[in-house]
This record gives sequence, C-alpha cells and structure tokens, in this order.
Amino acid sequence: MKIHTIVSQECMSVGDAMRELDAKQLIDTDFILVTGDVVSNMKLDRVLEEHRARRQADKSAIMTMVLKKASPLHRSRAVGDGSLFVLDQASKECLHYQPVKAFKSTRQDRRLTMNMEVFDKHPEVQIRNDLIDCQVDICSVEVPALFTENFDYQDIRADFVHGILTSDLLGKTIHFHEVSDIYAARVRSTQMYDAISKDIISRWTFPMVPDSNLQAGDCYEFRRGLVYKEKSVVLSRTSVVEDKVVIGANTQIAEMSVLSNCVIGKNCVIGKNVKIDSAYIWDNVTIKDNCIVKQCIIADNAVLEEGVTVSKGCLISFNVTIGANTTVPAYSRLTTLAEDADEDSDAELVSEPAVVGATGRGRSFKEAEGSDDSDEEIDPKNKLVNRLAYDMTALHLEDKAQEDSASEFESETSDLEEEEVNPAEELDREIAQTLERAFKDGHTVDIAALELNTLRMASNSNFHEMRKRIVPSVLKNIDVTAKAGSGKTVKEILVRWGPLIGRMIHDEADQIDGLFILQRACATLHNDFTSAKAIFAPALRYFYDEDILEEDAILEWYHDEKSNQGTEIEQKLRGSAAPMIAFLEQSDDEDSDEEDEDEDDE
Amino acid sequence: MSKNNELVDDLVAKLKRRQLVGSSTVAQATLKLLIVVISKSNWTTCNQLLTLVKSVGQRLIQANPTELAVGNIIRRVLHVIREEFRDADVNASQNQPEFQSAPLTTSSSMYNLLGETGSTPDDSNVQYTSSLRSNIIQEIREIKDELENIYDNIKNQASLQIHSNEIIMTIGRSKTVEEFLKMAAVKRKFQVLVAESAPSYSGQEMALELSKAGVETTVIPDSAVFAVMSRVNKVILGTHAVLANGGLVAISGTHMMAAAAKHHSIPVVVCTGLYKLSPLYPYDEDSFNVTFNPDSVLGFEEGDLIEKVTVTNPYYDYVSPDFVNLFITNQGGHPPSYLYRLIVENYDPNDHTFDL
Repeated sequence: MKIHTIVSQECMSVGDAMRELDAKQLIDTDFILVTGDVVSNMKLDRVLEEHRARRQADKSAIMTMVLKKASPLHRSRAVGDGSLFVLDQASKECLHYQPVKAFKSTRQDRRLTMNMEVFDKHPEVQIRNDLIDCQVDICSVEVPALFTENFDYQDIRADFVHGILTSDLLGKTIHFHEVSDIYAARVRSTQMYDAISKDIISRWTFPMVPDSNLQAGDCYEFRRGLVYKEKSVVLSRTSVVEDKVVIGANTQIAEMSVLSNCVIGKNCVIGKNVKIDSAYIWDNVTIKDNCIVKQCIIADNAVLEEGVTVSKGCLISFNVTIGANTTVPAYSRLTTLAEDADEDSDAELVSEPAVVGATGRGRSFKEAEGSDDSDEEIDPKNKLVNRLAYDMTALHLEDKAQEDSASEFESETSDLEEEEVNPAEELDREIAQTLERAFKDGHTVDIAALELNTLRMASNSNFHEMRKRIVPSVLKNIDVTAKAGSGKTVKEILVRWGPLIGRMIHDEADQIDGLFILQRACATLHNDFTSAKAIFAPALRYFYDEDILEEDAILEWYHDEKSNQGTEIEQKLRGSAAPMIAFLEQSDDEDSDEEDEDEDDE
Repeated sequence: MSKNNELVDDLVAKLKRRQLVGSSTVAQATLKLLIVVISKSNWTTCNQLLTLVKSVGQRLIQANPTELAVGNIIRRVLHVIREEFRDADVNASQNQPEFQSAPLTTSSSMYNLLGETGSTPDDSNVQYTSSLRSNIIQEIREIKDELENIYDNIKNQASLQIHSNEIIMTIGRSKTVEEFLKMAAVKRKFQVLVAESAPSYSGQEMALELSKAGVETTVIPDSAVFAVMSRVNKVILGTHAVLANGGLVAISGTHMMAAAAKHHSIPVVVCTGLYKLSPLYPYDEDSFNVTFNPDSVLGFEEGDLIEKVTVTNPYYDYVSPDFVNLFITNQGGHPPSYLYRLIVENYDPNDHTFDL
C-alpha cells in the first residue's frame, strides 16, 4: 500500500478538498472518506460490499454513511452538533438530513422541513435523533464531481447530504449503514476528546486500546481497574493510582499523590501530594508539590509550580508556566503565543500575572474576532458550546448548573427573536426600490406587477402586506398642486399606476382591505384634510369607475365601524365619501326596489 | 533480508490488530514465518541463527503477549536448532575419538544435571555443512506436520475416555474438544451438556456443531452448571493455553465449571495440543488475560449508564492446576504434575525468556 499526502493551502473545508481532488482527477473508483480525527475499530469490508452491491443495482446510489446507534444524551455525541436523519430501514436509504444545533435561535432551527413526496415513495419512514454520525463515508466517484458542480458546498453533511437529498434535479440517493457492535466517533471538540478518551480507556474501542501497543515503541500493560501503565513508570510507594488511569513512559509520580480518571503522557514529573482528577496531561509536563488539577487539558512542556490549583475546563497550552500558589480560574485558556503574533513577527509575549501568577509565563487566549467569515451565520452561542464543549461536560456532571445555563440561554434566545423584524423591513425597502425604479424608468404596469409578485413570493408575504406598501408609495407621487400635463396630478398618476394597485386586489375582502389602506394612506400623507381629500375622493371615484372597487365593498367599508375610528382626518375622509355613498345606495335602491329604506343613512 | 522484515512486520501488525487470533492459527502462522526466515537468511553459526530467531520471536511475542502459542512455537524451533547443531557437533567429533563422551541427547535432562555438562553448541564457531540447513528445515516441517495432525492424535484417545451412556459437560467452543467428542460419538452413545458461555455464547455454536454430528446435545445457561453437575460423569474442557504449573488460561466460565466439578468430585479432563503448553509461570491471575470490549455485557447505547459504571469483560479465566485431573495431549494422557517433564523435553531452559 502506498500513502500519498496531498497538501493544499487553500483548503478550508471538506468541500474545498473534494473540489481539489476532482480537479486533480486522483480518484477513479469508489473511495472511503474519513476525517483524520475519527477513532474506530470498524472493519469496513461489510459496508464496502453493501455499497458495491447497491451500486451494481442502482447507479444513483452515490454514498453510504456509517451511523451508530446511541442514546440521545450519550457522552460520545458532540453537544451542539447533533443530526436528524430521516431513514427508510427497508431500502437502507437516507431520505433527509438536518443538522441540529444546541441552541435553536431561529424558528427554522426548531423545525424539520421535508418534502412530502418522501411519504409517497416510502411507506415506512424513521426520523432518528439517536445516531452518532461516525463521519465514515463510502463515496462513489461522482461525489467529488458533485462538489465541483455545487461550488458552494462546504460541509459534507449540512451542505452536501442535505443538498443532494433536497435536490429534485440530481436524482441521486444516499444510503446508510447502521452499526451497533463496533465503535466509531470523531474528535471534533475538546468535549469529544474527553468522551472518546474515556471510551478508549473503558475499552469500547477494543482492540484499539493502549495495551495493544499499536504505536511502535509503546509498551503499555493493562491492570485491573482500567489502569494502563508503561513499563518504565516510577510510582512511589505511597502514591495512589485509582481507576481509569493511563501513565506514559518514564513518568515519575512522587509520594502521597493521587491519580484518578486521568491520562498522563511521557516523561512527566509529578510532585508530592498532588491530586489529579479527570485531567489530560500531555508529554514532558512538570507538576510540583501540592498541586490540584481537575478536568483540564495541559499540553506539552507546561510547568505548574508548587501549590497551583487548576480548576475545571482549563486549557493550558504548550510551554506555559504557572507561578507558585496560583489558582487558575475555571474555563481559562492559557497560551504563550504573543498577542497578534504572526508566524514570522517576533512580538514579545506579555505575561498576565493575574492568571499565571507572579513568576508565571503565559497569557489568556482571546479568539480573534471575525477570523473566519464563512462561519458568520453560526449562532454565536452555538459556537460557544463547541468551543467550550469541555465545560459542557463539566456542567453535565452537575445537572443543575447545566439547567441554569440552558434556561439562561433560552431567555436570551427569545429576546433575540423579538428583535428580529428584519424580513418586514427588508420587504419595505425592496418594494420601495422596485416602485422607485418603476416610476423613474417608466416601466409598464405588467412589469412592475411581475417584479412585485416575485418579491411577494420570495419573502413569503401576502397581498395585504403588498397593498399596505404599494398604495402609499403610489399616492406619494401625487402632487396636489401640480398642473395638468406635468404627469403628477391625481388623475394622471391614478390612470398610470392605478391598475398596479388593481393587480393586488382580487376579491371583495381585498377591496375592503384596500379601502382601509387607501383611507389611512391619504390621511398619513397629508396633514391637512383638504389635500388628503383631494387625493382620496378622486381615487375612490377612479377605482369605482375602473371596477377595481365594487359598490358592495365600498358600502361595506363605509358601514364598518373601524372606518369611523382612527385619526380625525381619517374620519373626515370617510365623511367626504358620504355623497358617493348616497349615490351608490340610491342606485342600489333603484336596482332592487324591494330593499328597505336604509336604517343608517347618514 | 528486507523481504523477511516485511513478512515479520506483517505478522506483527496482524497480531497487534487481533486480525489473527486463536492458538492454532497463530501457531501455524508463526511456524510458516520462521521457516521462511530460517531458509532465506544468511547464518553460519549456531549463535547467529539463535539470535536471529530470538529477535523475530521477541517482536512477535511483544505484539500480542497473550497469544502464548507464538512463544511456544518459537521455543520449539529454538530447541530444534540447538539439537541439530549438537548432533552436527557429535557427528563431527565422532571422527575424533576423545569426544565420545559428549552428551547424546538433551531429552535425558537428568543425565545433563548429574553428568558432565560438556561443550554446549552455543560456544561453537565451527562451520557447518549445507545439509545442516536442510536438516533444521526438515525438523521444523515435522513440527508443522505435528500441528496439522494434532486433532487426529488427540481424538484417537476419545474412546478411552468416553464410555457409553455417560453425561459429559463442556463449555465454549474448542475445536479440539469438538473433534474429540465427534470421534467418541462414532463408537459410543453419550449425552453432552454445553454451557452457553456468555457473553460470547460460543457454547451455543459448539452445541450446534455437535448436534449436527449426531451427538445428543443440550445447551444450559452458565448459571445452571453447578445445579446439573451432580449428574455429570466427566467434564471435558478446551483451553487457550497451559502454563508451566499445569494451570489453564481458558474461556471465561471455565474456572466456575472446574470448581463445581471439584466440589462434586467429577473428573476434569483437558484436551490440548502440546503447542499450547507454555513454560511461563502465572505470577498473578490476570497475567495472561485479555479484557474485551464491554459491548456484549452492556450495550454502548446505554449512554447514561456507561458513564456511571465500569464494565470489564475478561475473555479468559485462570484455572489453577489442582482443578484438573488429566491432560490429553497429542502425546497421550498426562496428569498435571507431569507437565514439567513435557516442558523440559520440548523446550530448552535457556529459551524461557527472550532477553538477547
């Protein structure tokens, strides 16, 4: 077997990598796609066979995903990175995919939208939220090509799988292979790092366990209580190694120290009376006497001086030194990289004594803001969950704390939703722009109506909303004082653009609604009654003459109590319509003699 | 030489990943590899060859220390090499009458202890003829034949051990026991109880195979072993390995069955090929055990539970020698107390550990 490494500077996502592969035409058969951080003891032959058999029968089956069953709150499922799968067990086909975020801030996040046709084709459908996505895929040659065709696909799941399954045009299908007796999971966050490490120590990944010594040079021995120890470890007589501990080569542990649930790398020196619990300590770390280390990750060459306490959720990076008797606050992230340091600039590291102690070396790490623009749409809270994922497990141990934080997030999210009036504003702006263009460039009514209708559909709005916006915009163009021929008189504007309003009015309910809008628009456009009336009355007349408004609707509007409420001008406008009403009622009477004398003729 | 290294690497990787498991499979793979290594590499003296085989052996043993058969086969081969060189020495010295007193064989170890130690072949730097290489290969091929015919040699003793209308109990699936019982069933009519051997349930497979061969078979849950033991005439066990003291490394549940048999004074017979006999001594009960994936004991799906409990799934049991009454090997039946003799006959005491 030959291993080729392909280095590409521009690759920022799976999508980029696949496009690169397609461009280089390196793959000409079915292939297995895994990320480098997958931990698994799976034999792929069965899945491969299944995939090949399926390909023989049906060329459109382009991908087989490996899924593993687990309970919804399983520790080996990434918090805030779940997935909903809609599956057909009979044909092993995946019908729909949707990523699930931890904090669902928009309404879209909380809903599963799928094509109804799925139910026509598949009599039995499972909607599953209990699957670990192993991130092991068997792909056909078409997959890289599809990524090239759809150049905006980045993520293999959220973009590619979702895209393929929702596309009617491609007609490709994606299948799944559900496994139960093997282990597969992906280290995609520090929280998953913790969970998968625990799984390895508990031997779920057997035979991929430390004592198999798969890495050349390792010589781990397995002891009762899930303890893995290299041969060259020096344990002092009074030190205590409790359950679930891994200790690397040449590490020394001094008197009275207690280790539990932890992983300690090679060449570490642990002092006297140190307590280490649920921590991951990498190679060449020095921890001096009386330290307490809990639920954290300490990277290579870090030094903890005497009496340091590292609280839960901390990430201590390479070469950091923490001064004597310092308490590192929970969830700190410490680094020795100088601030704003590029790779070649040698900016000086400014240590922060507040976090690393007086003699310490290091500073707390702040993520550069807006560093990755592709992630812009991601809810900041969801990013936080991923980033502080390790904290989430810490919180998970204390259920109450988690609930508190969850409700906190909940209340914040609801605030956020109320503020979110953007779509309406956006529609306003779009309509105003469209109309402005139409007025200026002298579009025909047909074109303007088409554009507006497109807008309506795009924003999923209704005709009422459209009328509410179009009527005032049209009326705004009327100049009451303008002379005939200027193109701005009431009559000219109405003749020119009235039909556009007519396009937005269909049945009687629309007409009544339109009248209310007209009344309000006139009243808000002009503060004085005379100019308002100068628009309203001709408009009413015009719409009646053009049969856009029918007499029933006008009468209905007139008699509706709401028309007589509102501002003074609005009321007066209604009053100004009285002569017309009288005329209408009269003609009505003439039409149908048997009708009674009106009880409300005012 | 690099070709040899590749082959060794391949076997080491297979052993580490547990793609090769089971005493008989690993024993045959080891032997095959050693034949290639010995015939393809350059060596002129005994020491060179011993060092070569030992270095390969050390790597193979470290790859999976619980597959004791690997080490046993390597020790057998080392023993053969020593013997052949010694014979060659003797032949060479026959021309010189004063060396007549050199030890003839090492199988008579008592003679070695009491008599003169003589010159050991390790020290000799004599150049050997090409016939030596073919002799060694020939001897190793004999071990290979022995491995291939191991079931025949064992099962031929079946009619001596199993009598008509007896009730036999066994556990797990052992190829040796399966052949043994099938052979007995050709002549005799008897009944077999098989404990299902949770969590691997290999006992169920065993029962299926036996019933296909026409043996009257009943599967019982492991928990019922003690209850039905009083009605049993003989317990016949397979094993993964036999240790120097006569103790067994056998599928989990074996210890319980052997203890129940001892309580009821039922004879326990172990069927095993000699290649499973290891000169290593069990210093604690866990030394040659393997702890498997806990999945079969508690499903991984039980997310809440697996965070709170620790599940261990040991694959083997250690059964101490006082539970065993008889070993049936391809060289006949032996009591546990006789095993030390077999070890001396088959392995050289210098090869018990592989420190180079």
